[in-house]
Amino acid sequence: MNPQSLQTYFDGAAFVALSPLIVIALGLLLLLLSSVLPVGRSVSNLLMLGTLLGSAALHARILASEQVPGLVVGRSYAADHTSAIWGILFVLGTLIAWLYSLRYYEDERAFQTEHDVLMLATPLGMMLMAGAHDLIVFFIGLELLSIPLYALAAFRRSRTKSVEAGLKYFLLGAFGAAFFLYGSALIYTTTGSISLDAFADDARRSAILGEPLALAGIALVAASVFFKISAFPFHLWVPDVYEGSPTPVTALMATGTKAAAFAFLMNAAVILPHSAANSVALIALLTMAAGNFAALVQTDVKRMLAYSGIAHAGTLLLAVAGSLAGDPKAGAALEASLFYMGAYVATAGGAFGLLALLERDGEHTTTLDGLRGLGQRRPVIAAALTLFMLSLGGIPATGGFLGKYLVFSVAVRADMTIYAALGVLLSVVALGYYLRVVIAMWMQSQPEGSPSVDSKPVALAATFASAVCAALVLWMGILPRWFLDTM
Amino acid sequence: MSFPPEHLLLLSAALFALGVLGFLIRRNVIVSLMCIELMLNAANLTFLAASRLHSGSETPDLQGPIFTIFVITVAAAEAAVGLALIIALYRLKQSADIDATTEMKG
Repeated sequence: MNPQSLQTYFDGAAFVALSPLIVIALGLLLLLLSSVLPVGRSVSNLLMLGTLLGSAALHARILASEQVPGLVVGRSYAADHTSAIWGILFVLGTLIAWLYSLRYYEDERAFQTEHDVLMLATPLGMMLMAGAHDLIVFFIGLELLSIPLYALAAFRRSRTKSVEAGLKYFLLGAFGAAFFLYGSALIYTTTGSISLDAFADDARRSAILGEPLALAGIALVAASVFFKISAFPFHLWVPDVYEGSPTPVTALMATGTKAAAFAFLMNAAVILPHSAANSVALIALLTMAAGNFAALVQTDVKRMLAYSGIAHAGTLLLAVAGSLAGDPKAGAALEASLFYMGAYVATAGGAFGLLALLERDGEHTTTLDGLRGLGQRRPVIAAALTLFMLSLGGIPATGGFLGKYLVFSVAVRADMTIYAALGVLLSVVALGYYLRVVIAMWMQSQPEGSPSVDSKPVALAATFASAVCAALVLWMGILPRWFLDTM
Repeated sequence: MSFPPEHLLLLSAALFALGVLGFLIRRNVIVSLMCIELMLNAANLTFLAASRLHSGSETPDLQGPIFTIFVITVAAAEAAVGLALIIALYRLKQSADIDATTEMKG
């Protein structure tokens, strides 16, 4: 490749499109450097914060501009309004997880900078996944997200549970990635292309879908993406990994990984045949059922939230099915997914974060019994957790309610009324376990003889993160117009 | 000497199946890691064979080889983290067996 052709690959538009990613990559290198230089924690904290906010600002610039860069770098990466919104969402999820992680670790506090470096690598991977327009870029993004998460899951390496979570996540994640690669290889074998462009026009697309080898490849790729969003029947790893990982890392997994995989799924839905809509809707319902019914019997709140996350993935998958079946209102499925995921990032990030906060103070919070009487002991935290539970359950006036409403209306418009009705019923089942947490906190007293905990003052970072999450949940629930207009 | 690409595709399919089977059957984590590598290399072989399938006599199709190089690089990073996790497990349990990870229900 001569220098001239390099210029056509990386021109001004490519620079604008990739600027949010470049900022993170630079911040990552500086952060690594700061861990070996004699500088204080405050410098690396500022660096982390500045990098994340800078990236979000650059995404916002793309979002605000009339002329989006579009497909750049040899049509392999797409930067438009949608990818900019996803990017801001990823930064938000990472920021929330990071703020809660600041006072979380005890034995591993000396490695906080390494922890931050790993955490900062994940949004880079997510952005690549969301903007990917060919399979290489998606693969790089997937691994840039997954490999740091394997290490983060096992970050409390003196605890068996944490190492176990890391190892399980690693083995299954790598197994899934291998499926993705073999599937891509099969797609490449039949189409001669690894770009999503190959599926762009209808004639070529139906020719490809007639080839059994290409269908097998698409099935393998879809299976690995379904694994990442924890859809039925690939959801069994989730509770163990979520329970064993350090709670701030769980917050990052629950919000970031899922959002990134959905972002790609919305882009790549073109490679699925229209006839797949019913199967996807069926998978969506089974995922919701598997998540909700398993969550009902959990006594560990972290595990319960893991199953609830599975159920939420199922709900969102219904929007994907709706868009496959052909929602007459163009772009509504995308809008619903963005809104739903936005509300979920704020809610689940806040909920897992508050659990991390309580855990640090030595409360036995990961169990339901440990939460009993929290309303008397720490009313503000209990109130915030209540708000998040109500939003996860889809109670009106919270962001979660409107997200559900938008998703189910996509399904109804796409003639999937039965699926939507069953989905609503399953959401009612879900209220059973969300309300159990609320009842435990406010209506039951602390069990006799349990050790009294001295509640340390809550760190500023965690207070700020909780306030942001709570404000977002309420704002999206009460005044959603602004969000919907931005999309 | 060169093989027809179709034979290479069959070989890589067999390798992939072998990797999947091994991953599902064997309990040792190091063997599981080897099986994953086998699957990745099956994908690599498919990419290379398919690249030959799509190449003209004058214009080589480079997408397959490029993908392969990325896969090899990423697989190295992945194996590094994987082996570190296995060492962490061994330190705690004196075993590299997947059955040693029984702390949680699933």
